[in-house]
Amino acid sequence: MPWYLYLALKQLFPTGRFPFFTAISVMGVALGVMVLTIVTSVMGGFGYEIRRMIVETEGEVTVRPVSLVEDVPATLAKIRAVPGVVAASPYAKGPVMVMSQGIPAFPVFRGLDLDSVNAVTNLARFVSPVGAMDDLDDDSIILSSQLAQTLGVRLGDAVEIYSPLLIEKLKSDEIFLPRPFRVVGQLYVGHQQLDSSMVYGTLRAAQEIYGLGHRAHGVNLRLARGASESTVVARLNAALPGDLHAYLWMESWADFLWVLNLEKSINFFLLLFIVIIAAFSVMSSLLISVVRKTREIGLLGALGASPRQVALCFCAQAFVIGVTGTGIGLALGFGVLAIRNEIVHGLTNLLQRQGTLQQFYQFTDLPSHTLPSDLVVTVVAAIVISTLAGLLPAWRAAKLKPVEALRGE
Amino acid sequence: MSEPVLHAQGLAKTYQSGDRRIAVLRQVDLEVRAGETVSIRGESGSGKSTLLNLFAGLDTSDAGQLAWEGKPVVLAEATRRRAAFLGMVFQSFYLIPEIDAFQNVLMAARIRGIPGPAERAKANVLLRRVGLSERATHLPAQLSGGERQRVAVARALLNSPRLLLADEPTGNLDEHTGDAVVELLLALCRETGTALVLVTHNVAHAAKTQRSLFLHDGVLRETRVGE
Repeated sequence: MPWYLYLALKQLFPTGRFPFFTAISVMGVALGVMVLTIVTSVMGGFGYEIRRMIVETEGEVTVRPVSLVEDVPATLAKIRAVPGVVAASPYAKGPVMVMSQGIPAFPVFRGLDLDSVNAVTNLARFVSPVGAMDDLDDDSIILSSQLAQTLGVRLGDAVEIYSPLLIEKLKSDEIFLPRPFRVVGQLYVGHQQLDSSMVYGTLRAAQEIYGLGHRAHGVNLRLARGASESTVVARLNAALPGDLHAYLWMESWADFLWVLNLEKSINFFLLLFIVIIAAFSVMSSLLISVVRKTREIGLLGALGASPRQVALCFCAQAFVIGVTGTGIGLALGFGVLAIRNEIVHGLTNLLQRQGTLQQFYQFTDLPSHTLPSDLVVTVVAAIVISTLAGLLPAWRAAKLKPVEALRGE
Repeated sequence: MSEPVLHAQGLAKTYQSGDRRIAVLRQVDLEVRAGETVSIRGESGSGKSTLLNLFAGLDTSDAGQLAWEGKPVVLAEATRRRAAFLGMVFQSFYLIPEIDAFQNVLMAARIRGIPGPAERAKANVLLRRVGLSERATHLPAQLSGGERQRVAVARALLNSPRLLLADEPTGNLDEHTGDAVVELLLALCRETGTALVLVTHNVAHAAKTQRSLFLHDGVLRETRVGE
């Protein structure tokens, strides 16, 4: 090992005594990396959970027309013939007004094709009571859980759904009566948006509400396991007529995902300042070290060390602090992530605000999903910033002339 | 007659102090041959340490020439040549506190290159020779002043230098320990054929070297000890 690396390690971790200054510098970097790891993982978790919920409730790909899918059976046949497509299910959806006991709500009504929906989505696992999906017919609906709570509706209750067509009919002096439905189940996904404003019914009921006839608003698709989503989408777009276009779930939710990514990037940028502040602590302790070891630096010069090697000794110390701090920070970060839900639930119980979390955030449990790319960016940023912090002390040490440093006595 | 390992001719050094220019060294001429031991005495502030720094290539002179083994010393190259050519012993030992005695000795070889088994063996031999083989794993803080200086002597000799420069090596030691360190220095230089330039205030120590010089008014003069 070159002497400057050997001496750097010995100065950071001296034999026989606790490396106090090193510990403080390392912990600064570690705290920064820990927070970055936790935040990027939790933000990644939000993205991952959203993907899971979207895919499990709508499939991985959606085929949407410019206006309406005119010939649903023919379109389904074309879609199912594309390699990589496992299942396809047509749907119709749009906003409605739900009225129960004089209380109005304005959710989205989603009409499902009961013959094919279970092959594309996993909606049934989010519905209670178990088997409620089997009870769904043209006169019944499933309400998302928070919507049912808002309307004060229980299983078996009747609600009325007003179509937007009501306004069109009124313009031509026609009366369009609300459609009565019986509530046969509640849907709880764990996503605030889906749990608060969705009504699931049959495709036929939706077609009736929107006056679609046999047409549909689109088709949801399930892809084969391991199939390349983008490749299948490209194949679909090549196979389908020009007025139909296949969208990956990411494209369908692009605005939402963009906001989520922006939030994640801003969080990363702001939290990176913890590492930058820690880097100043590293710089400060190394500058103190240069002053304390002025005569030793002079001695190294007298023994034949070059200024470049002296500089490398201090740069290496900053690098080792960065690497050690990053390693400890990652361990702490993943440790905290492992018990994140216990911490969150402990805090909400302590503050007696168990309901608040569910009310204002998307998930009841704190999700976590660490993307390798996030991890690489965190590790590289922390190590590079820490190493850069060693440049000024290294430059000062290299600038010391041995004869002047030795005269420091 | 052995070839000179150190040749200095007309060395001069002036320091600026405010508006004043202080001529510390005016005309220093010295030739030290291989294996020769030379002492330099002088009053405090007479420029002894400055002269030693010039000899070591750590500082540049305002005038004159310096050569190591017949080759002129250029400051830019001195760093590279220093590790192989000379060893230095200082009044304040300058051991690295974070590493033990053995590693302090070995540091001289580390700076010259990656130390191999031969260098490690030699470090052990030198530590045994200076009477510290039992203390090889002790940190400098666990050693007495005399022991620290002996470690510094072993470090200075590890790379088998042609010249050893000792700047008041007994200045921080009691009389008895100082005598022992100088005896050790002289004995080791004799055994290894290393030339020694010893800067000292101590007349008795100076008397033990082959030549004794006195630095006064910036000029180095041959003297008999006791003058």
